[in-house]
Amino acid sequence: MASKEDILKRYRANVREKFDMPDLSDIKAITYPNPLAQFIKMTESVGGHVVEVKEGQDVNQLVKELYPEAKEIASNLPEITIATRNPDTIESARDLNGTDVGIIRGKFGVAENACVWIPQTMKEKAVCFISENLVILLPKSAIVNNMHEAYKRIEFDKEYDGYGTFISGPSKTADIAQVLVMGAQAARSATILLMPD
Amino acid sequence: MSTQHSKAAKEFLKNQKYAKWHDATFWAVRTKRDNMAYGLDEWEQLREKASAIKRHTITHLDEYLDLFATKAEENGCIVHWAKDAKEFNEIVYDILKQHNVKKMVKSKSMLTEECEMNPYLEAHGIEVVETDLGERIIQLKGQKPSHIVMPAIHLNHDDVGELFEEKLGSEKGNHDPTYLTYVARLSLRNEFLTADAGMTGGNFGIAETGDIVVCTNEGNADMSTSCPKLHIAAIGLEKIIPNYDCLAVFQRMLCRAGTGQPTTTFTSHFRKARPTANPMHIVLVDNGRSEWIGNPEHWESLKCIRCGSCMNTCPVYRRSGGYSYSYFIPGPIGINLGMLRDTQQHSGNVSACTLCLSCQTVCPVKVNLGDQIYQWRQQLDDFGTANPQKKLMCKGMDMIFGSEGIYNLGTSMAHWANIIPSPLMNCGLNPWAEGHKMMEFPKKPFHTLFEELKD
Repeated sequence: MASKEDILKRYRANVREKFDMPDLSDIKAITYPNPLAQFIKMTESVGGHVVEVKEGQDVNQLVKELYPEAKEIASNLPEITIATRNPDTIESARDLNGTDVGIIRGKFGVAENACVWIPQTMKEKAVCFISENLVILLPKSAIVNNMHEAYKRIEFDKEYDGYGTFISGPSKTADIAQVLVMGAQAARSATILLMPD
Repeated sequence: MSTQHSKAAKEFLKNQKYAKWHDATFWAVRTKRDNMAYGLDEWEQLREKASAIKRHTITHLDEYLDLFATKAEENGCIVHWAKDAKEFNEIVYDILKQHNVKKMVKSKSMLTEECEMNPYLEAHGIEVVETDLGERIIQLKGQKPSHIVMPAIHLNHDDVGELFEEKLGSEKGNHDPTYLTYVARLSLRNEFLTADAGMTGGNFGIAETGDIVVCTNEGNADMSTSCPKLHIAAIGLEKIIPNYDCLAVFQRMLCRAGTGQPTTTFTSHFRKARPTANPMHIVLVDNGRSEWIGNPEHWESLKCIRCGSCMNTCPVYRRSGGYSYSYFIPGPIGINLGMLRDTQQHSGNVSACTLCLSCQTVCPVKVNLGDQIYQWRQQLDDFGTANPQKKLMCKGMDMIFGSEGIYNLGTSMAHWANIIPSPLMNCGLNPWAEGHKMMEFPKKPFHTLFEELKD
């Protein structure tokens, strides 16, 4: 810990004028007349898909229709009965490799940028990234306007309280000659299923 | 002032077709940034707030660092403090040795570039695999990044295609970016699954919660930490911010300013290791920062959030590329950080600026980048890095412009220079004529014309 004391001592000796924290309560952040419509529009613009699930519609059937070729489906959600792998019970995170569709739950969406808050709610979070295609179940009514509202609302899971992420669309890159390609290292497609209340 | 940058830029400009593409590409990114900024009525207000938050935080860093470290330790993380690059590299190596790590995957971190961590670890027998696609490309190529957000921007798809044919066994002649990205994906997938440790940088550290926040488009930071049993996060001291309310301001600006996207695909909060992994390590790195805060003209460079918007907009960066600068971070912020690091080594970069101030007009945290470059130029003589030829010219100009008599004599006689034969004037001996033709001096200087007009 010698370095900690050294660093802080040197910093305190060098720092000059001190500035106050600004008031952030007066930020006039963007809001939308219809946040859900904006969220859908933004999700599509970042390369994601949105499907509205009707009252009484079976999600399992819907996923099968959306991904007819899928063989390995990973999820720990109780309503998902078609899962062939469970991120809570697999031996190692590596065993999730080769997952065609991963199904997870999002807590709320953000209208301004299509972010969905996903706290870790499974033993191996790899399912959120290693799956070729990601399906996120999101309550239709849980849409906030902007990130200021979002950061007032985020919570980590009680059991898996070490990690949470905002995901906005599929993994992407433009690192080769600035050409946009979906599916860099994580999911190559992302579908949001808007769940009825 | 020196000619070091312009000499290096000559190399870049040899390939005019590519140089034009580079310029146009970054101008397109700048335009995307503008569209994002104009799309939010509160954009300028956000810039004000972002600047004020950073000013406050970096002048109260001791308190916030202490709070951050306390929180992170409460969360179960192991926090290390590194006073310089050497100590940082040793700490990381120690952790890896303790866990018997042979291979480490890592997401993009300018800090590890700054500390030259990869060569250090490789010399100690640890394989380091970059997982951001751009970083991976330049790692395979044995090069350094030429931009902080788009590190492989100096290579085109044919360069990458040929590289992948050689290193990753991709199809001969298939240089389609979608195909090449897929080839890299498969290769990196294997690295993620077989690595013993994952390292991430950090865009922000949250004092109130102890979170390390990492923003990526590829998801490679999340992949790097999902399978290996060990996660090491490395961040510079100045990356700590107070709380989520502040984070909201920066999260909204980082990607809009940098790449013109509304957000990065992933904004990930790492608070502690996953249940099946070893405790997470966080290394807080000083490496000069606690000195720089005391520099009266240049401390505000510590506000930078590394979005890259200053280089995207810079007319000199766009037309000269990242490798024309001597510091590993190019463009306006790199000029300033390089000078804070070592004035002797990096004085050449301060010439790479037209003082157009576009950089500080777009900077989301309002770092006064161009003003600082101007300030550095005033100090070159003190550093002993002023160019003797230019110094002599300045003395000459001081004499001419300082005396009305000499000035008037000079301007009235200048047109005699027009009769000097062109090969003598437009030659290598006249630095003024480099890159452009010597101008024609008017027969009547402006003062005479003005007097005549008055009559």
